Amino acid sequence: MKDIDILKLTAVELSAKICSGEISNDKVTQTCLNHIKEVEPKIKAYQLVLENGALAQPKVSGEKCSSLAGVPIAIKDNIMIKNHPVTACSKMLENYIAPYNATVIEKLKNAGTLLIGKTNMDELAMGSSTETSAFMRTNNPWDLSLIPGGSSGGSAAAVAAFTVPLALGTDTGGSIRQPAAFCGVVGFKPSYGLVSRFGAVALASSLDQIGTFSRTVKDTAVLFDIIAGADYKDPMCEPLENPSFSQGLDEANFKGLKVGVFKDVDYIKLDPEIKKAYKENIQKIKDSGAEIVELEIPSYQYIPAIYKIIMCAEASANLAKFDGIRYGYRAKNVRNLTEIFEKSRGEALGREVKERILFGTFVLSAKNYHNYFDKAQRARTVLINETKEAFKKCNVLFTPTTTQMPTRSGAELSEYCDVFSTASNLTGASGISVPAGLLGGVPVGMHFSAPRLKDADALKAAAAFEKISGWDSSKLPSALG
Amino acid sequence: MTITYETVIGLEVHAQINTKSKVFCECSTEFGAEPNANTCHICTAQPGALPILNKAAVEAVVRTGLALNFTINSVCMFSRKQYFYPDISKNYQITQFEPPLCSKGRLDIISDGKTKNINITRIHLEEDAGKLVHDIGACKLDYSLVDLNRAGIGLMEIVSEPEMNSPEEAYQYLSELKNALEYLGTCECSMEEGRLRCDANVSIRPAGQKEFGTRVEIKNMNSLSGVREAITYEVERQKEILNSGGTLVQETRLWDTEERVTKSMRSKESAADYRYFPEPDLAPFNLSQNFIDDIAKTLPELPQAKKLRFITDLGLSDYDAQVLTASKPVSDFYETALSGTGIQADKVAKPVANWVTTELLGKLNAAGLEIQASPVAPENLGKLVGLVVNGTISGKIAKGVFEEMFTSGKCPEVIIKEKGLVQISDEGAIAELCKQAIESMPKAVEQYKAGKTAAIGAIVGAVMKLSKGQANPQAVNKILADLLK
Repeated sequence: MKDIDILKLTAVELSAKICSGEISNDKVTQTCLNHIKEVEPKIKAYQLVLENGALAQPKVSGEKCSSLAGVPIAIKDNIMIKNHPVTACSKMLENYIAPYNATVIEKLKNAGTLLIGKTNMDELAMGSSTETSAFMRTNNPWDLSLIPGGSSGGSAAAVAAFTVPLALGTDTGGSIRQPAAFCGVVGFKPSYGLVSRFGAVALASSLDQIGTFSRTVKDTAVLFDIIAGADYKDPMCEPLENPSFSQGLDEANFKGLKVGVFKDVDYIKLDPEIKKAYKENIQKIKDSGAEIVELEIPSYQYIPAIYKIIMCAEASANLAKFDGIRYGYRAKNVRNLTEIFEKSRGEALGREVKERILFGTFVLSAKNYHNYFDKAQRARTVLINETKEAFKKCNVLFTPTTTQMPTRSGAELSEYCDVFSTASNLTGASGISVPAGLLGGVPVGMHFSAPRLKDADALKAAAAFEKISGWDSSKLPSALG
Repeated sequence: MTITYETVIGLEVHAQINTKSKVFCECSTEFGAEPNANTCHICTAQPGALPILNKAAVEAVVRTGLALNFTINSVCMFSRKQYFYPDISKNYQITQFEPPLCSKGRLDIISDGKTKNINITRIHLEEDAGKLVHDIGACKLDYSLVDLNRAGIGLMEIVSEPEMNSPEEAYQYLSELKNALEYLGTCECSMEEGRLRCDANVSIRPAGQKEFGTRVEIKNMNSLSGVREAITYEVERQKEILNSGGTLVQETRLWDTEERVTKSMRSKESAADYRYFPEPDLAPFNLSQNFIDDIAKTLPELPQAKKLRFITDLGLSDYDAQVLTASKPVSDFYETALSGTGIQADKVAKPVANWVTTELLGKLNAAGLEIQASPVAPENLGKLVGLVVNGTISGKIAKGVFEEMFTSGKCPEVIIKEKGLVQISDEGAIAELCKQAIESMPKAVEQYKAGKTAAIGAIVGAVMKLSKGQANPQAVNKILADLLK
C-alpha cells in the first residue's frame, strides 16, 4: 500500500487493517511521522510531535485489537498527557510538564490509540484563529494565507492535512466546530457533561467541552464512544444513556426527520455565499425526505453578549491560578508578592487573554455584577428555554456553522461569526459541523444541533447529511497539492 | 459626666471539619505532616484539575446545624470568593454565599446566672487556606514559603448575631459552641492547632442607643481566654477613644499575643471586592429530607441535655453536673467510670462524681494533665469506687490506692492484693482487735462509760491503727458499742 493511501484511510478502516495484520502499526506511525515532516513547514499544526513515544509504541496484535488500536491521534495542547509539556500555547505554561493524564487520555491509551502530537491553539483557548498562540501561527491547508480558525486550529489543520485521521480539541464557544468548518473536516462538540473535562486546561467551566475532529462522521462517533462516559473526577460529567453512538450510523437518513432551519434574520449577518449554500442544502435535506420546520429563536441575537460575559467571568477566575507561585512563568527581579503576581502575569499572558481577564473581572465586580453577570445568566436561561421550545418542533436544528468564511490572517472576525455553534455551549446541547463543499476553493461547514444528551440524533443527522453533501473526504486540500 | 456604654459583640468562628480527607479532594487532613505532604493536583490548583465534593463534610455541617437548632436549606450550592494570595492556590476560595447550608440557629449560654439565648445567623461550608511560612525556627527568611497541607480542609464558618454584651458572654458562647462541636464530633476544636479559630466584631454604643457603634474586627486570638482578654482590651480602647472626644474607624485589628494589645491591620476603605459568583464546577444539588432525617437520628446527647439528665436521673448537684458536662472528654470519662463500677448507676453516681471532680481533676490539674492523658483509666476509677461502695475497702484506703494508681497506672485490685489492703469485716477478728484497744485505753473507756460518748472516737481510731486501717469502720463502731455496754 502506498503511503498516501494509508493516510487517506479513515480511522475505522485503518484500525481494521491494523487488526487484520494487513498493515503494521509501526508502518502507520512511520507514515504519519513522515507526512508530518513533509507538510508541517507549510501548515504548522503541531506544537509538539511526540516522535520518540510514538515510535516506542508496542506492536498492536490481532487478538487484543480494539477499535482504534494503533490509530494515530493528535491532541490539542491544552489536554494533559502525563510527563509531556502542556503549554496551552501560552508563555505562562511554556515549561510546564503535565503531572497526570486527562481522563480522555487514559481512555485513549486504554483503547491503544497512538498519541502522536500536541497541536497548536489560541493561547489558553482564547481566540478564533489560532493566531493568539504565543508560539506560532497555523495555516489553513486549503489556502495557506487564510486562518484555520480556532481555538483548536492546530487539531483541525492536522486532520485536514491528512497527518492524522483523528484529533481532540476543546470547544467553549465554537472552538472545535468553527475550525472544522474552515478546514473542511468534521468537528463535534458533545453535550455538556458527556466527556470528562478532567485534565483539560479550563477556560470557562460551564461552557468547556472536549470534542473531536475527523474526516467522517463515523470516525467521530467511534472516537466519541471511547472518550464519553461518567468520571468521578469531573463532577459535571454524567452517565451515558446511549452506550454506542457509532451503531446504526451507516443506515442514517433524513426520512421522517424534522429538521429545524432558521428564518432570515437581520442581526445574523450571513455571508451571501454561505446563505446560498445554506438554502441549497436545506433543499437537499428536504429532497431526502426530511420535514423542514422554519424557526426563530429570538434570544440568538443576544448570544455574543451573553457568551462574552459568562466566558470572560469564568475565565477570569479559572486563570487566576496562573500566578507564578507554584508552577509556570515567574518574572525575574521582583521585590514583593504583588510584583510576582503582576509581572509574572503581565509578562507571560498575551493581549487577548489579558483583555478577557479584565472584562471578566469587571463584570463580576460588586458594582457591575447585577447589570452584567447576573443579567447574562438570566438571558442564558431564556435562551435555554426558547431552545427547548424550538426542539419541541424539530429533532435537530440545521444552520451554517459560521456566518462568514475564513479570513486572511490578521483580519478580525465578526462577533456573530460563531453564533450558531456558541448557542450549543450556552444551552449544553451537542453540535456537529460537517463539510458541505467549497466556496471559492475554501471549505464551508454546516451545523447540526440536537437537544442536550441527544447526541445520537445530531450524529445521525450529520451522517445522513454526509451522504448527500457531495463532499469527498479523501480529497487532499488544494494547498498541499 | 461619664457615659455608660453598652458593648456589642458578634463572633465568627471557623471550625475545621473532622473528616479524614479534604473537602474537594482526597488528601489527608492529618495535622503536623511534612510541609506539602498532604497535597494533590486539586489542592495545589494544577491546570485541568476539578473539585470533587466530600459528602462527609456536608453531613458534618448538617449535623452541626441540626444540633444547634438551625434550619437546613435544601439546596447545597457553592460560590467562588476571589482574592490573590498564595495560601489559596486557585486564588479563589470555594465557599457558600447565598444560601448557606444552615440558617438561623441558636445556642444558650449562662450569663449572670441566667440562661441567655444567642442567635446564630448561619453556618456555611468552605475550604480552608494553606499557610505561609516566613521563618524557620528563629531564623527570619527574606522570602516566604507556602505550605498547602491545610489548603482544602473543610471549614464550617459559624456566624453569630451581634448579641453578646460582654467579653464574658463571648467567652461563654465560644465555650458552649466548642463543647457542642466536640460532643458532635464534627470538629476537633484545638485552638492551638488552629482547628477552631475565632474572629470577633466588637463595638460599643451609649446605653439605650439603638444604632450600632463603629465596628472593629479582631483577629488572631488563638485561645478561649485570649478571646476574652482581647475583647476586654478592645472595649476599653474604644471607650478611652470616645471618652477623650475621638472617633473610631471601622477596621480590622490583630490581637498581639506578646504585647496583649490589639493593633490595626487594615481599614475598611481597603477592603477587597471578592467578586463572588456561583461555582461553575460544582452543580447545585438538593439535600433530601431522608438525608437530613438520617443525620438527625444519629445526633448524640448534647451537653445541655446531658447535664439535665445527670441532675434528674442520677441525682447529681447542679454544680457537679455542670463540671462533668463542661467538656466531652470529662463527661466521657465520668460515664465510662460509672459503668466501670459494675453497680447500678443511680447508686454510685454521686461517689463517682465526687471522685472525678475532686480527687481526679484536682490531681490532673496539679500535674498539668488533660483528662485524656489521665494515668488512671476511667474503668479503673470506676472499679475503685465500686470496691468502696461494696465495702471491700474503706474510703481512706481507697485514697491511698488512688495515689498508687495515679503513679503506676495499675488497676486497683492488683494494688489491693499486692499490699494486702482488703477491708476486715470478719466480726470475730474485729472483736479481737476491739478488745485489745479497750485494754490499751482505760481512760477513754472510763470517759465513755461515764456518758461522754464522743470518747469512742479515740478507741475506734486505735482499732483502725491496729488493723492498719483495714477494719470496716461501721463494724468497728457496732462491736465496740456492744463490748462497752
